[in-house]
Amino acid sequence: MGLVGDTYTLFLREMLIFKKSLGTNFARALLFPIIFILFLGSAGSSPKNVPISVVNYDNGLSALNFINQIQAGSSLKVTSATTEQQALNLLSKGTVAAVVVIPTGFSSGTANEVYMYLDGSQPQAVSVVTGTINSVASKFQADVVTPNAAEKGSQGVSVISNYAYGAASNYESYVVGGILIMVAAFGSVFGSGFTVLSDRQLGNLKAFLTTPINTSAIFLSKILIGTVQSAFSAYIALGIGLLFGATIAAGALGFLELLWIVFLTGLGFGALSVALASRMKQLQTYALIAQSTTLPLSFLGGAFVPVSLLPATLQATAVVNPVYYAINAVRDIMIKGYLPFNALVINSGALLIFSLVMIAIAAILFKSTSDQI
Amino acid sequence: MKLENVVKKFGDFTAVNGISLNIKKGEIFGLLGPNGAGKSTTINMILGLLSPTSGKILIDGIDMQKDPQKAKKDIGIVTQETVVEPELTAEDNLMIFGRLYHIPQQELKKSIDFALKLSDLEGFRKTYAGTFSGGMKRRLETAKALMHTPNILLLDEPTTGLDVQNRTKIWGLLREMNKAQNVTILLTTQYLEEADQLCDRIGIIDHGKMIALGTPSELRQKIGMSNVIEVSADKEDMDRLKAIFKKVGLEPQVATNRITAPGGSKATEKIEMLVKAISASKIAIHNISMHEPTIDDVFLKLTGSEVRDQTGEDTSRTRTLMGR
Repeated sequence: MGLVGDTYTLFLREMLIFKKSLGTNFARALLFPIIFILFLGSAGSSPKNVPISVVNYDNGLSALNFINQIQAGSSLKVTSATTEQQALNLLSKGTVAAVVVIPTGFSSGTANEVYMYLDGSQPQAVSVVTGTINSVASKFQADVVTPNAAEKGSQGVSVISNYAYGAASNYESYVVGGILIMVAAFGSVFGSGFTVLSDRQLGNLKAFLTTPINTSAIFLSKILIGTVQSAFSAYIALGIGLLFGATIAAGALGFLELLWIVFLTGLGFGALSVALASRMKQLQTYALIAQSTTLPLSFLGGAFVPVSLLPATLQATAVVNPVYYAINAVRDIMIKGYLPFNALVINSGALLIFSLVMIAIAAILFKSTSDQI
Repeated sequence: MKLENVVKKFGDFTAVNGISLNIKKGEIFGLLGPNGAGKSTTINMILGLLSPTSGKILIDGIDMQKDPQKAKKDIGIVTQETVVEPELTAEDNLMIFGRLYHIPQQELKKSIDFALKLSDLEGFRKTYAGTFSGGMKRRLETAKALMHTPNILLLDEPTTGLDVQNRTKIWGLLREMNKAQNVTILLTTQYLEEADQLCDRIGIIDHGKMIALGTPSELRQKIGMSNVIEVSADKEDMDRLKAIFKKVGLEPQVATNRITAPGGSKATEKIEMLVKAISASKIAIHNISMHEPTIDDVFLKLTGSEVRDQTGEDTSRTRTLMGR
């Protein structure tokens, strides 16, 4: 039998246990991405009835016509304000997502622009507002001028241009890509390290060590089962993401390409979690440390916010963050739709190195603690 | 199985201090000792979980240090913690361990059937072990240890916490294996009467050293006790009772709530004197008796402590672990 056979036997054991509570495992894999997609506000189509406040200093026929037109599509819900200051107060409270000011002379033709104040903290509302106002304004041949809202600092229209997704993609694809990698990382943290601890507490590790197996089979099987479970969870997350409107630009082949990235991510984080669990006895301590490792790595790696929007000091950490490479690869597949060879080598290579280093560390830590079982 | 001057040190602490032991093929050997005596450390070394600081462990002539995989194949183990996997069926539990013990694929099914029959669990083949009672789990565990037909069976407190029926079943199973397949059995136990009844030879360990070794009857003779007089009473009365024992010319050994002393040839007279002295002192005793020495008496005399009191907290600890 040897190492491969022993690893397979222990892996088989984990799979049988996994199968026993397949329903629970499925529900757990289901819950996480649904909650995240809902919380990140990207479920369904673009928002309706975005509240805006209009200040009409002109009161001419064209101005009223303009207001009628922007209300027409029911994407905006217009309330009027008598002064610009009053409207800006509403904006600062968050009651409205934008303020539109129609200056005197709009109808007579002396003023050929409208002013717009935006709340950048509501990016989806902003995109609806700018889209509608711009399209209506183009019919009136009026320029849309967007001065910075005083109370919102620099969060004017400039925030919009910071979005990471291009015209060809949507926010769902962006977020689902991040969730995919996060779920993969968490999946193996549960599947690998967590079961090392529970097996130690139940005396199973001791029982394995009294059998004539190659002892490396124990931690290898643990890493493998975590990897499989993370792929399982990640593909459920992907399925849910597709239901909610995410797309895979690379098409059917993208499924396989994503599997490769998810596999590498699961492998690396599985090994990381086994390394962590080798040094611990308490499930609570492990859960705390594993979560406080995986969660920040996901955020710093650009799972939900592009790394380019992070503060400069945090941006620098991305270089050594495996999640960063995994997410870059996933975005190449899901959003750009092709795998640039350089990027593929860099992203896969970085993940592969991460996995191998973690497996080596797990091997050393796991062996050195065998004595304490 | 042979232990040659085995020493194990943890830093400055010497847990096992030069134990030598030669267990013959087909023998049932009981290893006794108070908690912290080095019993578990010795067993873990025999299992290959710990490596000795110095000395040698030979399993069927195979050096555990040099060829652990081959040596481990010869040992079956039943631990204090019952480690059947609750989320697997009885059959799958056995299948996994059969594979881990490298039973060839073509013999695996036969071994599983044999183990299920042995443990009297044939009707529960497809039942998840998590639904089993404590006794059924222990039987499955014992069968699991025997399915690869080891030459040596190591049992770490195999009957702790079991009811009489299951305990008797396990004893029967052990005797049967020992007789039918000439399996060597090494067991630790906190039930001294179990050791007395089951074991061909007994070794008592204290402070990392083997302080007594022999057949149960040899050990009884060795401590020179005959006609043991025993009085049990409340803990608070122990000091006063001890003084009374001394007054009537006995040499008392005090355990938690009982006192024993060898009565010798004048045991009947002594017990009469004792009864008079105790009733004069108005101490309410629970029981007074005279009997032939048991392994309990040997143990108390040699180690100055009782096995059961020392291990009580140990057994409660093992059951508090959470499941998945």
